Amino acid sequence: MDLLLNFGRWLQNTTWALSITGSDWAYPFVQLIHFSGLSLWIGTILAVDFRLLGIGRDRQTAAQLSDSVFAWNWAGFAIAFVGGFMLFACSAETYLRNPAFLVKLGILVPAGLICHIFVQRKSRDWTTASELSRAARIAGLVELLLWLSVAAAAVLIPTVG
Amino acid sequence: MIRICEWLEQVRWIVALNSSATSAVIVELIHYLSFFLLVGTIVFVDLRILGVAARKQSLTAIAEQLFPLTWLGLLFVTLSGFVLFAGDATAFYRADVFQWKIEVIIAAVIFGLLVQWQVSREARSSRRSLTGRTTTKLLALVSLVLWIGAILASLEVAALTGLG
Repeated sequence: MDLLLNFGRWLQNTTWALSITGSDWAYPFVQLIHFSGLSLWIGTILAVDFRLLGIGRDRQTAAQLSDSVFAWNWAGFAIAFVGGFMLFACSAETYLRNPAFLVKLGILVPAGLICHIFVQRKSRDWTTASELSRAARIAGLVELLLWLSVAAAAVLIPTVG
Repeated sequence: MIRICEWLEQVRWIVALNSSATSAVIVELIHYLSFFLLVGTIVFVDLRILGVAARKQSLTAIAEQLFPLTWLGLLFVTLSGFVLFAGDATAFYRADVFQWKIEVIIAAVIFGLLVQWQVSREARSSRRSLTGRTTTKLLALVSLVLWIGAILASLEVAALTGLG
């Protein structure tokens, strides 16, 4: 933990992190990058999960929808990651002492990512039949709950900090 | 209007929802996730119209699949947003940046509806003229910019007023 905190102290004192923290306009724009990426990432994940659960229109199969959004889904993740890292860098030590942040980034995000990659790889097998399989519905629900818990941990960061 | 805001702040169920830590977190969670659903799906349709996403897939199929989720997101973001607003209605109402946020969101919703209308009009029409596609692309571009503006305005409300 000490090693991690030392890294956090070093990171938040880098020139670029200090320039974001010290600027009136830079911080909201970094937040904009993070939230724009999150909108694409989470928005497209929710759309596929709802389709797996049989919620909404059936104009596309879950596999077709997953293929359609694939590139921009991961582009959203990359944008959210870059913005998130910059936000983290501004107060790295504080974040590393926050239990909600540690649970979010140490457990829930990796679990969500593993589940998401699994769902993307398997969605074609689950939706070749005309009706959604039980496995598809369960996977959609599990992924939905995982990202819901990631968002819950994120919302709790200011409360438990 | 201020009197309505003051009355809203005293409504029993609004006070109950905002004063309990658990329910406040749940409302905030619904607000964030429905906002991501709303913006993520509409921005993806806009990107498809602009020709930078899912070019091999039919625009009509993507739009018909995603637009109901966009409006579902709008419904929940409005309901949860109303509860969050009502808890501090007077302060929100007095903040200029909150009024700008609402104006940008209303404009973005109008352009979202125009994009949906234009896509369904093009889908019905067998003759897809170049002019029609250009209009749709222009509407999609404005919609995209407005939704990015809506995110920025939402962030600025918290940054400049400490509300939300």
